[in-house]
Amino acid sequence: MALFPISSKFDGDFVLKLVPVDTENTIDEVAAAAAEHSVGIHVPDQPGKVIRARAQGSNQPFPRDMRLADTGLEPTDTVEFYFSEA
Amino acid sequence: MALLDRSAWYDLARTTEWTPTYITADELFPPEMSGGEGIPDEVWATYDEPYKVTYREYVDVQRQKDAGAYSVKAALERNDLYNKADAGWISILKEHYAAVALVEYGAALQESRFVRWSKAPGMRNMATFGMLDEMRHGQIQLFFPHEYINKDRQFDWSHQTMWTNNWVALGARHYFDDIMMTRDAVETSIYANFAFETGFTNLQFIGLSGDAANAGDFTFSKLIQSIQSDEARHAQLGTPLLQMLIENGQVAKAQNHIDVSFWRSYRLFTILSGIPMDYYVPLDVRESSFKEFMQEWIVTQFIKSIEDLGLKKPWYWDIFMRDLDEHHHGQHLGTYSWRPTLWWNPAAGVSPEERDWLEEKYPGWNDTFGKVWDVMIDNFATGRDEKTIPGTLPMVCNVSQLPIVGTPGRSLHDNTLVHEGRKYHFASEVDKWIFEQDPERYKHHKNLIDRFLGGDIQPANLEGTLEYMGLGTISEGGVDAHNYLWVDAYKKRLVPAS
Repeated sequence: MALFPISSKFDGDFVLKLVPVDTENTIDEVAAAAAEHSVGIHVPDQPGKVIRARAQGSNQPFPRDMRLADTGLEPTDTVEFYFSEA
Repeated sequence: MALLDRSAWYDLARTTEWTPTYITADELFPPEMSGGEGIPDEVWATYDEPYKVTYREYVDVQRQKDAGAYSVKAALERNDLYNKADAGWISILKEHYAAVALVEYGAALQESRFVRWSKAPGMRNMATFGMLDEMRHGQIQLFFPHEYINKDRQFDWSHQTMWTNNWVALGARHYFDDIMMTRDAVETSIYANFAFETGFTNLQFIGLSGDAANAGDFTFSKLIQSIQSDEARHAQLGTPLLQMLIENGQVAKAQNHIDVSFWRSYRLFTILSGIPMDYYVPLDVRESSFKEFMQEWIVTQFIKSIEDLGLKKPWYWDIFMRDLDEHHHGQHLGTYSWRPTLWWNPAAGVSPEERDWLEEKYPGWNDTFGKVWDVMIDNFATGRDEKTIPGTLPMVCNVSQLPIVGTPGRSLHDNTLVHEGRKYHFASEVDKWIFEQDPERYKHHKNLIDRFLGGDIQPANLEGTLEYMGLGTISEGGVDAHNYLWVDAYKKRLVPAS
């Protein structure tokens, strides 16, 4: 376990935000941490949808149950978060 | 006593030059201080300042300027502007004085370095007056806000800001240290006098002067007009140097200096001028939008002065023109959202009428930045106070030191670079390009997030960060300038029709 800061680029937000997470967190847990600082603060909620995450510039989202430590991301890398049907 | 006519002696006096015999020319004018490598020695004496003045004339005119500004202040002190003016206007005063006053003393040091180190005798002469100008600007812009300190401690930042680690101060210091304090005489004059003063001080000092008069603040209007009349003179210090570089085969170097300085100046002025002009100036007295001021003073006039010299628009011109519609709106959302980190009370500037104005000036604003404000306004209107201030920090650019912002859903992007094993983040590809021009210059600096993650800020939370920035120490941080009265119009819309 290790503290792991990421830069959150949440779809609809206007600013990159520093989000502290943990290498053992799953992508769903990381997405929830990012949402805490954007959804309902600067971005409207979209009930019923899930939040997916991908590396900045990538087309492929990370699997939701993947551990952060296994993504290949480096500390302070920017992760794109967005609402999705599934 | 009869006086010789100025023209009879000026050129001779100005070009009186040192002839070193005990030391070398490089010891007298060390290249790292004087600059101008590749310029033949005989060229320096041809430096011809476009604005000539004698010391006697200078003192006489400056005395009149001071008398004018101080007498207006004295006459209007009983008007109680502080309590009568719109709160958004008072915030502009707090932001301006704190961001500018101490920097003027830095500019006096800058000019004094020209007085000693410039190889051009004409420039040394002219810079002497520039140095005295900047001392006056420092003094007058500390004296004028002083009358407000007993009413409002946030005005104490006029003197304190540049000694703090407030994030705006980190950005301003990084910028002014880069363009004004750490380059040789030739480069400094092009970066600071030509690009910054010729281009951008007009924006703040002339643009805001009209708004000040309209807002009834004749003291501030007179003050900044008085200052700008000096700037218009000593800003011309850099132009002959640019001509020398161009005429001596250094066009690429001259263009590079302009390209770096122009972008750095522009980005800082989105905070200093952009936000106040489009959000803080009361709607009924607003003269023009920030974009319109930029188009008049920068896009038209400043670019003409570049092209007249034979240089080109910066390579990122298309990016810059798009940015005029975007960046300062994002910075306003950021400064307002993180308002406890400010030394002034930001006006939201997004009442229904103000949003109409923004949409007119910046078509599409409601569908982009306006959507973020919709979420924030809903929180204010429904009393969800805990949702109105983010619980984390924004990512910050390693060049501009400003939050990395963009148009929602369109242009928010992290530009990164790994240099010697360290990852740097930039708010634009231009900021990244600036870093790449001189990594040795920029690589050691730690931005606010580097300091936070590196353990320099303790406790590592919002409270610790505020204390690190001087908030709660020098004064309390920012709150909404109008105590959220503008939200009432939105609350009424929530009341169901009976």
